Amino acid sequence: MMILGLIILCSPASSAAEPNRIKHQITGLFSRERVKDLEEVFKQLPEFRLVTVDYDNAEASFEYDPVTVFPGATSEQVVERFDARLKNASRHTFGIKPLRTIEREKLKLIEIPVAGLDCKGCCLGAYEAIYRLNGVEMATASFKERLVTALVEPELIDREALETALRQRGVEVTKPQPENSSPE
Amino acid sequence: MKENQGNMSYRITDTCSIILCYIILHSSALSGAEPSVFFEKHCLDCHDGKTKEAGLDLTALKLDLSNPGNFSRWVKVHDRIESGEMPPKTEERPPTGDVVAVVKSLKESLVEAEHTRFQRDGRTGLRRLTRAEYENTVRDLFDMPGIALAGELPADGSAHGFDKNSDALDISHVNMAKYIEAADHALDYAIATRPTAPSVQKRRISLVNRGGFVAHVVMNGDGVLLKDKKPDPAFPPAGEHGHIDQGAHERMGSFETGSTVGLFRHEDESFSPYFIEHVTIYPGRYRVRLSLWSFHWDKGEVLPSRGTEAARLSVVQLTGDGRGGQHPSYVFGYYDAPSIESREHELVTWLNHNEIIGFNTASLAPVANYSRKGRAMAFTGPAIAVDWLDIEGPLHDAWPPNAHHVLFDDLPLAEFKTAENPGTRPPVRKHVRQLGAGMNRPDPSPGLWTVHSEQPLVDADRLLAGFLPGAFRRPVQAEVRQQYVARVEERLNAGDCFETAMRWAYRAALCSPDFLYHLEPVGDLDDFALANRISYFLWNTMPDARLTELAATGELRKPDVLGGAVERLLKDERSNRFVHDFLDQWLKLRDIAATDPDRKLYPEFSPYLQDSMVAETRAYFRELLDQDLDASHLVQSDFAMLNEKLAVHYGIPGVSGSQMRRVALPPGCSRGGFLTQAAILKVTANGTTTSPVPRGAFVMERIFGQTPDPPPPDIGSIEPDVRGATTIREQLDKHRSNAICASCHAKLDPPGFALEAFDVIGGFRTRYRSIGDGDPAERGSIDPFIGIEFKLGLPVDPRGELPDGRAFGNIDEFQTLIAADSERLLKNLAEQLAIYSTGRALAFSDRDEIEGIVKRTQQKDGGVRTLIHELTQSQLFRTR
Repeated sequence: MMILGLIILCSPASSAAEPNRIKHQITGLFSRERVKDLEEVFKQLPEFRLVTVDYDNAEASFEYDPVTVFPGATSEQVVERFDARLKNASRHTFGIKPLRTIEREKLKLIEIPVAGLDCKGCCLGAYEAIYRLNGVEMATASFKERLVTALVEPELIDREALETALRQRGVEVTKPQPENSSPE
Repeated sequence: MKENQGNMSYRITDTCSIILCYIILHSSALSGAEPSVFFEKHCLDCHDGKTKEAGLDLTALKLDLSNPGNFSRWVKVHDRIESGEMPPKTEERPPTGDVVAVVKSLKESLVEAEHTRFQRDGRTGLRRLTRAEYENTVRDLFDMPGIALAGELPADGSAHGFDKNSDALDISHVNMAKYIEAADHALDYAIATRPTAPSVQKRRISLVNRGGFVAHVVMNGDGVLLKDKKPDPAFPPAGEHGHIDQGAHERMGSFETGSTVGLFRHEDESFSPYFIEHVTIYPGRYRVRLSLWSFHWDKGEVLPSRGTEAARLSVVQLTGDGRGGQHPSYVFGYYDAPSIESREHELVTWLNHNEIIGFNTASLAPVANYSRKGRAMAFTGPAIAVDWLDIEGPLHDAWPPNAHHVLFDDLPLAEFKTAENPGTRPPVRKHVRQLGAGMNRPDPSPGLWTVHSEQPLVDADRLLAGFLPGAFRRPVQAEVRQQYVARVEERLNAGDCFETAMRWAYRAALCSPDFLYHLEPVGDLDDFALANRISYFLWNTMPDARLTELAATGELRKPDVLGGAVERLLKDERSNRFVHDFLDQWLKLRDIAATDPDRKLYPEFSPYLQDSMVAETRAYFRELLDQDLDASHLVQSDFAMLNEKLAVHYGIPGVSGSQMRRVALPPGCSRGGFLTQAAILKVTANGTTTSPVPRGAFVMERIFGQTPDPPPPDIGSIEPDVRGATTIREQLDKHRSNAICASCHAKLDPPGFALEAFDVIGGFRTRYRSIGDGDPAERGSIDPFIGIEFKLGLPVDPRGELPDGRAFGNIDEFQTLIAADSERLLKNLAEQLAIYSTGRALAFSDRDEIEGIVKRTQQKDGGVRTLIHELTQSQLFRTR
């Protein structure tokens, strides 16, 4: 397991164990290079301090005061508004969503070899083709490894649905690999 | 016998009627000769009521010369006899003395009749400004050198070859409605509505803009992004797969990395590159800088290019939802892109609201890798690279701008506060929406600012006293000015603020006959009318302050002062307006885009070639003017004005780059003079084929000044055979076997036959191109990246014989024959310039003046420039 930052908060929920340190799942973190991009984006958002980034789980912890930053907002609204602000700052390439509630062991990692992803823009396109699908908890796309991965709930989505979505976006899916369920 | 007697009787009656007419109308003419006897003896055999050869019945042609139809027919009779064309060569020749006497008699009658008409009506009809004159006048009056107005006005007609003729310049309620709109538009631009100038914004723009066409085609292999003259590793060239999802790339900032954009693809029906991040908000002058270079792309490698390529910058007016445009509103120019080394180009230009800058890889062949296998990584070919475009503006030397000063002099601008102006309506401000995807932003609103006057009526009188003479191009009497001041007072009393009230007066002035018409006195032009005539002739616009001053002091009518003024106008850059406007009409350059050459027959044709054609003809006339070259140069020269594109098209080596320059023609090159210029050859063809008939008619009318008669009714036209089975000459030979056709075609066809040596886009040829039968064609000078489908068909035969019997074997010999008659060429040019500059057709009685102008030009060994000087000094020019 590769953890780029030290996880200080262990709470599975977004609710603040300590008032100003909060953990969220990050969307748009489709490759390791994106961690740097995320750090750059938060330079434009001084009301938030990005403390750590857990790339493997697509999570990050922040220090901010919800009462000050989003006065009068409920905890759900805090996530929504934080998401909107991050999307604005990142031209809709990053977002926030509540932490995953399903246990990792119950998820299945599907790896799909692809061709034709030439750059970060293409990877974002491939990532966005699948990350919002029902049952997809997390996804990556790498032009270097020529690989798209998705951590999915097997009861809700399968490889075929993912490949169809990728093809519709213009991604060429190459030789299918044996499925690899990997409870981390 | 009876029949003969009847004929005799008829003939006698006819002859009597002609004699009677002459006795009544022209008794003096009979003293030296007997025209009636002449007609009886030499004309009536063919032109009586029964034979009516060529439709002419002299017995029925009345001698009522106040009737325009009769007048013109008698002119024709005069001309045919004078030229010796009639009686025909096959008939008995009349004694020379008889011919001279009859011609003299006819001439005197015609001149007398014409003078009677002129004394009654004036020589030039009242005429309004043409669209071009209107636009130029507003531009110069307000110092707004690029405001676009002409395109919104109804098209002008054309008479006697030019739109400046009063016969063509009617005016309707549509014109008036458009003039009101145009005046409002000009005043909106001119009046300052803020206390300080809009802030100067400077922006560096990549061609691969966010959301633009270019990003889309680059993602699919019609271009590449480059860093340090190599493929950008962060955005690899599209290969087997294109880049997916343009929106994702835009959000990732893939097109905002400062990379150079290398384009392989030419503008086409579905691809129009723009620098879309600047959409002009504030009209005004802008500084534009552009960095260009070219390269040879070889499947992923950047190599030195084949030479200097050329890119086009243009202006596109966005309309409606911001997607409008596509085709450029006008072209800034063509700019060199040298191999590998970046070259910066700079220009300062006026931009109107919602105008953006368009781009084209002008010199490249139309290539599309978009859906080809392997896309950019499988492509080898030329490319043009755009490092960046900088745009800076609006640039104002002073604020308020000159245009505002023209209207309000130095009255202060002040914030309009309703509370401080009870009962006064504030000025109305139009909400101007910025269309498209511009990243430049308007300044924050400064509030409602307007011009302030402590003494509105006093200021109104003073301001109008300054404005009206300029707008009307002559002194304005106090009572006329007072009518405008009264309008201002009326509006002030109605509750308008000072600016709005003045606006009423200014708009009324800009829509008045004093502004819209060339008001000239009947007879000799006064000083101001003379200044106007010179200025609208050589600048196509109002006189400037210096010319107006010469008129005001009465100096302008002095020959040496007038000559000096003409010389100054010709040296001024504004004289290019004359060159463009005159050539657009005289040589029909306006029709250059009227036909699209067949793509299979002429695949090498491109908008760049077409623009170069027009530029050549303009540059050539400019050279004749600047160097005062003689009239033989109209049809023959040892040089041409070329850029690389045209030089390659003409097969002339050693010319590099997009700019026109004088090039000595190599031995054996069949170019030189207007007739062999591609622009002329294109406007006289139909895009697919050539025909000697329209080309011959063009030469007759435009170069020789002899308008051919229209074809008789029910004579079918000749359709060239693009399959290549028969030549146009073979078809014409059949046509000419008809005697009715033969007489006209004897004059029309020879120039057309000579010009058969050139195809519809002005390329030299010895064989016709064919899309049917034929031999495989060699590529010649056609770009190797252009596919060739046409074949070589039947050989071209450019031989012919002039009506006087002189034969020529090819275009060069034809040019030599007609260049020898430089007096005819000079006379025609004098006539064309006279019609253009005076706004009326040449009268019969102007012929002596024209001959005088030509003679004086020849005596000075002068050319085109001398001719213009002589024309402007002539009574013909100085009389309405």
